[in-house]
Amino acid sequence: MPIETFEQFIKRILTIVFWLLIIAPMILAPILFIVIESGLIEFPINPYALIAAPDLIMPIQLELMASSFFKVVVFPGFTTAALVATVMILFERKFLAKINLRVGPLYAGKFEGFLQPIADLFKLISKELIIPKKADKTFFVAIPFMLFAVVSALLSVIPIGPSTYVARSPISLLIFFAIMGFFPIIVLLAAWSSSNKFSFIGGLRALHQMISYEIPLILVAVSVVILSGSLDLYQIVIAQKTVWFIIPMFLGACIFYVASLAELERIPFDMPEADTEIVAGWLTEYSGMFFGVIQLAIYVKFYALSALFTVLFLGGWSGPGILPPEAWFLMKTLIVMVFMIIPRGFNPRIRIDMMVKIGWKYLILISIINLLIAIVAASILSG
Amino acid sequence: MSYYFNGFYKALRAALKALVTKRITLRYPDVKLNIAPGYEYDPKQGVGLPGFKGRHILFIDKCTGCQLCSIACENIAQCIEMVKSEETPSAANKKNIFPQIDFGNCVFCGFCVDACPFYAIYMTDDYELSSTEKSNLIFTPKQLATPPKRKEDLVDIKIKGRSAYHD
Amino acid sequence: MINLSVEFDIKGKPSTLSLSIGPQHPGSGHFRLIITVDGDIITDIYPDPGYVHRGTEKMAEYRDYFQNIPHLERPIIIDSTGITLPFCLAIEKLMDKEAPPRAQYLRIIMAELNRIISHLYWLGIYGPFLGHTTMFMWPMGDRELFIDLAEMIGGQRVTFAYTIPGGVRNDMPENFKDKALKIFDHFERRLKEYDDIFINNPITDKRTKGIGVVKKADAIDIGLTGPNLRASNVKSDIRLDEPYCLYDELDIKNNIPVLSEGDCWARMMIRRIELHESMEIIKKALKRIPDGSVKLPFRGAVRVPEGKIFVRTEAARGVMGYYLISDGGKTPYRVKLSVPSFRSIPGMPIALKNVRIGDMPPIYWSFDYWPVEADK
Repeated sequence: MPIETFEQFIKRILTIVFWLLIIAPMILAPILFIVIESGLIEFPINPYALIAAPDLIMPIQLELMASSFFKVVVFPGFTTAALVATVMILFERKFLAKINLRVGPLYAGKFEGFLQPIADLFKLISKELIIPKKADKTFFVAIPFMLFAVVSALLSVIPIGPSTYVARSPISLLIFFAIMGFFPIIVLLAAWSSSNKFSFIGGLRALHQMISYEIPLILVAVSVVILSGSLDLYQIVIAQKTVWFIIPMFLGACIFYVASLAELERIPFDMPEADTEIVAGWLTEYSGMFFGVIQLAIYVKFYALSALFTVLFLGGWSGPGILPPEAWFLMKTLIVMVFMIIPRGFNPRIRIDMMVKIGWKYLILISIINLLIAIVAASILSG
Repeated sequence: MSYYFNGFYKALRAALKALVTKRITLRYPDVKLNIAPGYEYDPKQGVGLPGFKGRHILFIDKCTGCQLCSIACENIAQCIEMVKSEETPSAANKKNIFPQIDFGNCVFCGFCVDACPFYAIYMTDDYELSSTEKSNLIFTPKQLATPPKRKEDLVDIKIKGRSAYHD
Repeated sequence: MINLSVEFDIKGKPSTLSLSIGPQHPGSGHFRLIITVDGDIITDIYPDPGYVHRGTEKMAEYRDYFQNIPHLERPIIIDSTGITLPFCLAIEKLMDKEAPPRAQYLRIIMAELNRIISHLYWLGIYGPFLGHTTMFMWPMGDRELFIDLAEMIGGQRVTFAYTIPGGVRNDMPENFKDKALKIFDHFERRLKEYDDIFINNPITDKRTKGIGVVKKADAIDIGLTGPNLRASNVKSDIRLDEPYCLYDELDIKNNIPVLSEGDCWARMMIRRIELHESMEIIKKALKRIPDGSVKLPFRGAVRVPEGKIFVRTEAARGVMGYYLISDGGKTPYRVKLSVPSFRSIPGMPIALKNVRIGDMPPIYWSFDYWPVEADK
C-alpha cells in the first residue's frame, strides 16, 4: 500500500521501531545466553556480569570513551557538533524574535517551542527531492554531503580539553586553514551544477567573498603564532596560562570577528544568499533533505570558527577548577556565538564592491599593524 | 571613522533596548482582541452608527421581505438570495421570504445594512466564520437569526512606558 | 517590438546575461523587469507591467454610483480613502452639491490616517529589500496601532468603503480623540528609535546615498508625482495647489517637506518626514472639527446629470486622478483612473542606469510601485 499522507508515514516508522525494540531482544537474548553458556565463542567481557555488578562497568566505560571511535562519533566529534548546531538554530530564532518584538517558534513542545528543530527535521524528511532537468546530477547530489564532510574535518583538529581531541598534530593551525581552502571550490561547484542564472551569480559572489577574507584571518593567526611560539593549537592554549591573548591582541580579535562573519555568510555580509536580488544564491535549487544537510553544515562551520576564536584568543579550556575544562570551553564558545548573532538584529547587508574594498584594503592594513604590535608584545612577554 | 562607530553604537543600543521592551504579539487562539460592537444603521436619521462589520444578524420579526438588501448587493458581490421559509407567514411578511447570505462571496461592506428601512438586518462582531466545506458557508435565515457566542479572554492594546502590548 | 522570451539575442561580449526579475521572484511583486547585465553592471532595462490586469474600468460601467465604491477600492487595498475620495468629489461636482463640513473634516482625518498606514507598509517592505529583518517587523507592529484607529471609525481594517458620494457613512465614536492622541505620543517616541536603527545606520547611508538619482528637469519631464517629485526639489502638492475638501482652512504650508538630492535616500527621508507631518495635520483637524450632519440625504437611486469632469487629489503614493463621463443614467458611461504608480514607471530606466545588481531592489522599491494599482 503506497504511503499517501504524513500520518501514514509516521505510523509506518513507529511500527518498524516498535517491532525492532520488542521482538529483537526477545529473539536475541536466548540465543546470546545459549552461545555464551556453552562456551562456543570467547568474549572479553561477560555481559551478564556487567549487568549484575555495575561497579565493574566504570573502567571499561572510561576505556571505551578514550577510544577513537567514541571521540570521532560522539564526544568532541559528530554528535556534539550536530547538537550544538541544532540548539544554536533555535536560540538564534528566539533571540532575533525578541529583538524584533515578536515571539519566535512557540507551539512545538510545551515550553516556548523547544522541539521546533525536530519538527523541522520531520518536515524536511517528508519532502520530495527535486533535481532540475539540466543539472549535472553527480555533483548536484554529492555537494551537500561533501560540504558536511569537509566541515567535520575542520572540526577534528580543535582540542576541547587537555586530553579530549580527535586528532593532534604539531601543525594543526595550518591544517585548519588548508581545509578551509576547500569551501570556495565546493560553493562554486554547487552554483555551476544547478544550471540556473541566479545560482551562478550567487556562486561567483560567494567565491569573491571567501577568497578576500581568508587573508586577514591567516595574518591574524600568524600574529598569535608569534606570541605563542608554536603552530600547534594545543600549545597555543597552554601558552595562554599567564594572560589571555585577547588583551594584547584586541585589534586582532576584532579583525578575526569581522572576517569570520564574512566567511560564514552572515548578515551584514549576506550577499551570496541575498533574498530579494538573486532568490537564494547558490542554494536556490536544493530542496528537502539536501537543504537540511546544507543548513546543518553551515551551522557546524559556525561552531568550528567560534571554537577557533576561543582557542586563539580566549584561553581555550582554562578556568577555575569548579567545572571540568570541557564545560568552560563550551561556555566560552557559546558566548562567542551569541556575539556573532547580534549584528543580524540591526544591520542591513552591504554591496559587493564595498565588501571587496573592506576585505582587501582596510582589513589587510590593520592586520599588518596588528602583526607589528604582536612582535613588540612578544619581545616584552619573553624578556 | 568616528561617524561609523557612533552610528553602529546607536543602532546597537536601540536593538538592545528592545530586549527589555514587551513584545507586541497577540497570542491569537488563546486570547482575542476586544473590538467595538457591531455596525448598525438608523433609517430615520439616515446615518450609520460606528461599529465592527462582521457577520450579519437578522431579526425575523421585523423583516418584511422587501428584497432591498438583495438589490443593493446585486452588483457588488451578489451574495444575498431570498428563500422561502417553512413557517406560517406572519402579518408583516406575506410573501414569506427571507434573505440567505453566502459568506464565500460577501465582502462585508455593509451596504445591505444601509439599504434596509425596517431595522431588520445589522452586523455583529463575529469574524470567525471559517469551515472546511464551501456549502457550510451559506447561512440560512435561521442561522443568521442566532446571535453569536459571547467571547471570553478579551484583551486590549495597552501603552505603558516604552512598550505597546496586548494584555 | 521586443521579443518577450527571456533568452534575448545578445550580441557582443560573452559576459552578458539577461535576467528576468519576473513575476515570481521575492524581489519584485507582480511586476516583471527584464535587465541585461554585463558582469555586475546593469546596461539595459525593460519594464513589463500588465500581469494583474483585470479590467477595473470596464467593470465600473456596469455598477451603480454607490455600488462602485467597494469595487473601486480594490486596486489599492491599504489606502482605500485615497482612491475613492476623488471619485466622490467628481460626482458631487457634477451634481453641483457639497458635502457638509463635518463630513469633509472626517474625510481629511481618514485620508491622512491612510497615508500613515501606507507609508508604514512601505517602510516595512523596504527592510527585506535592503536585507534588514528588524526593519520589516517594527513598522508592521506599529502599523497595528493605526489600523486599530481606522477600525474604530470605518469598521474594517482595510477596504472599509467609508467615503460615499454626499459625505461619509457614519460619525466617529466618542473615545476616538483620546485614543488617537495617546497613540500619536507613543509613535513619536518610536520614530526616534527608527531613526537610530534604520535611517541613520551607516550601512543604509552607504547603500542609498547617491544612488538612483533623478534630477529636477528629468523628474518634471517624465511626469513623476507625489513624494518622488518632492524628493527632486519641486514643491508640488495638490493639497496646496488646488485645495479640495477644506484643506485650505487648515494652513498646511509648513507641513509639506521638500528635499533636493533626488536619490534613494531622499525618497526614503521624505516618507519618514511625512509620517510625522500627517500626525500634525490630524491633530489640527481634530481641534477644529465642527458639529453637524455627516451626509447628504439621497432618495432612491442616484442619477448624475450629463457632463464630463476631471478631478485629482493627493493619495499616499502620488496624484490620483479621475476622468468621469456621465450620460444621465444610473451607471457611469466611462470612468478613467490615472494612477500614481503607473506614472513612476518611466523613472526606472533613468534611475537604474549603470548601477550594480545589488542596487536594483532599493531603487525599484523607493519609487513605491504597487503593481496591482498600476495594472488596474
